[in-house]
Amino acid sequence: MTENTKNMQEEIANLVEKWKGKEGNLIMILHELQNYYGYIPRPAALELSRALETPLARIYEVITFYNFFKLSPPGKHTIALCMGTACYLKGAPVLLNEIKNLLNVEEGQTTKDGLFQLDVVRCLGCCGLAPVIKIDEKVYGKVQKSQVMGILSEYGNHNQEG
Amino acid sequence: MAKLTKKDLDRIKDAHKDDGKNWIKVGMSTCGIAAGADKVYEDFVEEIKKRKLDIQVKKCGCQGMCYSEPSVEVRVKGLPDVIYGKVDKEGVLKILDKHVCGNMLVKDAIYELRTKR
Amino acid sequence: MDEKVIFLKDTSADADRTRDFYASFLNALRECGLEDKVQVVRVADIGIYNRGLVVKFADKDIVYVNVEEKDIKNIVAQTVKEGKVIEKFLFKDEPKQLRIVLRNCGEINPENIDEYIAKDGYRALCKVVSDYKPEDVIEELKKSGLRGRGGAGFPTWMKWKFTRQTPETQKYVICNADEGDPGAYMDRGVLEGDPHSVIEGLIIAGYAIGASKGYFYVRAEYPLAVERVEKALKQAYDYGFLGKNIFDSDFSFDIDIRLGAGAFVCGEETALIASIEGKRGTPRPRPPYPSVKGLWDKPTSINNVETLANIAPIILKGGQWYASIGTEKSKGTKVFALTGKVKNSGLVEVPMGITLREIVFDIGGGMLSDKGIKAIQTGGPSGGVIPKEYLDTPVDYENLQKLGSIMGSGGMIVMDEDDCMVDIAKFYLGFCVDESCGKCVPCRIGGYQMLSILNKITESQGQIEDLDKLKRIALAMQKASLCALGQTAANPVISTIKYFEEEYRDHIVNKKCRSHKCKHLVNYNVIQDRCKRCKVCVINCPVNAISGDKEKGFFVDPKVCVRCGKCFEVCKFNAIAKE
Repeated sequence: MTENTKNMQEEIANLVEKWKGKEGNLIMILHELQNYYGYIPRPAALELSRALETPLARIYEVITFYNFFKLSPPGKHTIALCMGTACYLKGAPVLLNEIKNLLNVEEGQTTKDGLFQLDVVRCLGCCGLAPVIKIDEKVYGKVQKSQVMGILSEYGNHNQEG
Repeated sequence: MAKLTKKDLDRIKDAHKDDGKNWIKVGMSTCGIAAGADKVYEDFVEEIKKRKLDIQVKKCGCQGMCYSEPSVEVRVKGLPDVIYGKVDKEGVLKILDKHVCGNMLVKDAIYELRTKR
Repeated sequence: MDEKVIFLKDTSADADRTRDFYASFLNALRECGLEDKVQVVRVADIGIYNRGLVVKFADKDIVYVNVEEKDIKNIVAQTVKEGKVIEKFLFKDEPKQLRIVLRNCGEINPENIDEYIAKDGYRALCKVVSDYKPEDVIEELKKSGLRGRGGAGFPTWMKWKFTRQTPETQKYVICNADEGDPGAYMDRGVLEGDPHSVIEGLIIAGYAIGASKGYFYVRAEYPLAVERVEKALKQAYDYGFLGKNIFDSDFSFDIDIRLGAGAFVCGEETALIASIEGKRGTPRPRPPYPSVKGLWDKPTSINNVETLANIAPIILKGGQWYASIGTEKSKGTKVFALTGKVKNSGLVEVPMGITLREIVFDIGGGMLSDKGIKAIQTGGPSGGVIPKEYLDTPVDYENLQKLGSIMGSGGMIVMDEDDCMVDIAKFYLGFCVDESCGKCVPCRIGGYQMLSILNKITESQGQIEDLDKLKRIALAMQKASLCALGQTAANPVISTIKYFEEEYRDHIVNKKCRSHKCKHLVNYNVIQDRCKRCKVCVINCPVNAISGDKEKGFFVDPKVCVRCGKCFEVCKFNAIAKE
């Protein structure tokens, strides 16, 4: 663990060094942290507070305001279901239900086996392909309810009970 | 790099003048890529290399026709410029076989005609 | 010599007979001995709709419409062979779209700055810093009549002038690329397809107002756009279009990227500024406006992506040219993300003043299914619906506002008879409630209360007084909210009540949803004539609401039924009705 903590300290020191002197850097640093860890771990936030000489409350205030930042580790694969208007009209709610049922998971949660995280997102900007599901970096367009199971199975066997 | 001057702008513009060569342009924006444009691009590059064809494959942004992505614009001398829509591997082969090598436009696959501009 | 090519497409609403016509054309050509000289091509989309068989002659720039089977011989004999034009089929094919903002999108490689320069890129910047005083730039924009494309339509030249006038040495310009409207992606299209056009606009904005620093505030959810802007900025630095003494003038300018983090409210100017400062994106009261006190309390001009992409063409072709396009008060073009139940969804750029009907039917190709058009939604969560009766309205800022909607950033969503207006209102309001920053009471509480009322209505618990309540809360939100998010959040509700009050009453009084969208108001029944008594519905019903036997038939008990729709899905004989 000490090794990890040390790495984290170094990582954050580097980040702070990179953004030092640039005003309003907090959000950009958080972006980089999330890119690295997949979420903002509490120890990292603590360390960041020390390095930036900013109260921890200020950091959490920002993290919790923006939808983009996560406080818990994501699943191995992130399912982003688009709920923009075009997707909504073309059946995104049906897909959402189907995924919830298949994976036994609610919005914003991770499956028990840690394989999938289900996020409902605002417009992914592919309205022409509505309804759209994005899994990790791959986008699936014009998805029908009957295809959902097939798409999910590309990512390994989900264990219902797990 | 040295700073560019107005003359350099002219120079670059001249260098990019239409040289009458044939090309294929693949729309590579988020919606295009979501529909498989990157695969289409790779297929074109690979097939052209394999057949040693003299045609350039380029990338471009969104042509605005999201419903028919992935879309591909083709210029072959002597034929009108057209945009093919919903292109897949089979489409790539057809475009190369018929349009590029055979001087025949592919049927039922054209989504926009680029008239004289 | 160009080969002769004829394009064919049957565009009638009913069965597509392109293949038959194609065969006739081949026959006719053979009879004239032209089969080897002319190529006939069936196309999937010819860009003209509902005009029967459309025939385009590629080499002659002639278009025929409403051609019948019997005419084909004649056309081949006269037009193809003799080159004579037959007037009665002739169609004036005027392009409905006009591409200024999207001029290079889909044309050039966005990752290659040279291709942008080859399209006269950075020439406007060169012209401005060498020959124009900053005031001249603002004057040119005044002539052009360009208004902000982010939503409200404030004249761009005024914004720049106010920011320029404020006496302060440090000023900023910001490009707002935090496109948050669900169902709109114009900005993404431009940033991914032609990032340099926006960068050039931002640099010119900096020159005009006297700023030395600009920021790109981009949605983090658009990774490809961010990547292309980053690359483009680096290239612009390499060529000296950014940095010190641009084109050997006294003008120096830098641009940094800041990422948004998923907050719709950050489209509001003061919230966006707070976010760039690294804080929570909450708005503050205006005045002072950002043109006086903006980023780090310095004068700041914030412009939308589309606005900035318009700047270079205006400088190169002149404000007067731009002002010649559009309507009296709305100049130039507008990019719309045309989506929903329309056949050809995509990005379209049209001159202001075009009608909604032209956009949906002539460019969009009409409706996706045979369901009729019901309404068009513009302006996203801050806009409203426009019912089909107003399809012939010319699109500009004033007209849309008069109809109770707004131009907004450019989302245009087509809805058909399957879409329930109460449900749509609930969808948009739910979005705003989610995105409310919570700072001011009218927005935080008002939105929540309205949403609970809408939920009540769609869950068959609505009372007729609810309509008045909705209107009263909406008024309070419009009058008393701190920022545009709260002030406009009720718009989708108000406009749906305005045009579709009947539908609300249906939900409240008759407990019916005519689009079958609100599941609590839908009743499932077995259509006895069609039912084959296979019992699949009985087996699949999770609450055992379907009972009966093979003799008498099966029935759904509405008291037990939870409206899950499973029976409807599993029935192979379409014997379950939604009512």
